[in-house]
Amino acid sequence: MNISAVSPGTGGQSSRAGSPRPSTPGRAAENDLLAELVSRAARGHEDAFAEMYDRTSSRIYGVILRVLRSADHAAEVTQEVYVEIWRQSSRYAPDKGSVLGWMTTMAHRRAVDRVRSVSSDVARDEKYALKSADREVDVVWDGVEQKLDVERVRKGMASLTAIQREALTLAYFGGYTQSQVASLLKLPLGTVKTRIRDGLIGLRDALGVEA
Amino acid sequence: MSEIHGAVGSYVVNALEGSELSEFEAHLAVCETCRREVVEFSETAGHLSTLVETPPPPALRASVLSAIKEVRPLPPESGADVHDEPAPRRLLTTPPDSPDAEPAVEVDELAVRRLRRSQRYLGLAAAAALVVALGLGGWVVNLRQDRPAQVAGSTLEAQLLAAPDLKVVSTPMRNGGRASFRVSESLNKALFIGQDLPAPGPGKAYQLWTIDGAAAVPDNLINGGQRQQAWLSGDVREADGAAITIEPAGGSETPTAPILASVSL
Repeated sequence: MNISAVSPGTGGQSSRAGSPRPSTPGRAAENDLLAELVSRAARGHEDAFAEMYDRTSSRIYGVILRVLRSADHAAEVTQEVYVEIWRQSSRYAPDKGSVLGWMTTMAHRRAVDRVRSVSSDVARDEKYALKSADREVDVVWDGVEQKLDVERVRKGMASLTAIQREALTLAYFGGYTQSQVASLLKLPLGTVKTRIRDGLIGLRDALGVEA
Repeated sequence: MSEIHGAVGSYVVNALEGSELSEFEAHLAVCETCRREVVEFSETAGHLSTLVETPPPPALRASVLSAIKEVRPLPPESGADVHDEPAPRRLLTTPPDSPDAEPAVEVDELAVRRLRRSQRYLGLAAAAALVVALGLGGWVVNLRQDRPAQVAGSTLEAQLLAAPDLKVVSTPMRNGGRASFRVSESLNKALFIGQDLPAPGPGKAYQLWTIDGAAAVPDNLINGGQRQQAWLSGDVREADGAAITIEPAGGSETPTAPILASVSL
């Protein structure tokens, strides 16, 4: 079963009495819902938090797993991230972006921190990295479900130059530092820095201003 | 565009480290444009997660929902509350005579970083609280490497987490719990973290062991619980492994019950 961030939870667990909800709300509606859930979580409502978990966990776990590549580490970090989200729920403010953006930012940062702190655990030496650099980009592009949201992001990524896309992918999904990306792509650091930023600008513009 | 501005993309995708990171964070504190871009780009980067959606293991849901029961959500942000971090204090049954008996406080680097990041939102009221005032001073100039030192009472754990040779070994336990050891040989320290440890039974406790060759050396005792942690008191550098059993509450000299989990160190 593929649980997406906009599907109504995880099967049986989602059918709580008295909480009907639209099955495929748009992005803005989904964010309103999540914002409501996060503010209820801040007041200690565990059921609201559970619903948040159901609506977001495949996005959060997906990012963490992608960066860490170890299901064990990913589960542990995902739990840490959700506990942190619970703890910080009163600190979410719309000026920090969407709820999901706030959550994925936290998840990505934690995953990358874990990569850097346990790098001896995970084979991430440069030789391995060089070999996997192409695969890194491919894997992300393969097997992606044909969904509207995914389609837009894919199109956005496709609108970037190859180097922008590669630099952004290696940094975000690969969890590499900009210096490592530079050495993987055999480009000067300054170029990589610019490409990552340009890549984000391109993607932002492709996705529109609604975020 | 100055060169430092240019690092905003790398910052958002967490691709800066060391001095690059501290320089950019120092810049961020004084650059409104970069702060705006960080919010925008973080939002954009978040969309990338749609490309890698993966349902987590089903058991994780229950584990997360039980973990939050022990954690109080922070009060809303308003300067004076900031020092009221309920850094989750874990029950620790380290014997009081152990050199490691300082309270185990989870180092929450994320929270610390977030706090540091949000310091610009704090009102003047915050300065009234000495702890906060000191914290702010620290945060503004603080390098990322120093951040664990910001969390009172957690220096040992912070050191461990920052150790270059930190190793994390996790394994399921036979009774359903999960054992995880964070080990640094250079510090000669290991921290055990047990998740979902079933109650050991009346008059019983969990006991940790270090394994030295064929011998099991008795180590600290722990209660059951959703999340328990304890430092190993044994010589981690010399140990070949570590294990956990359920023993009579006072602990045993040699294991008297089957090993629930063991790891090699």
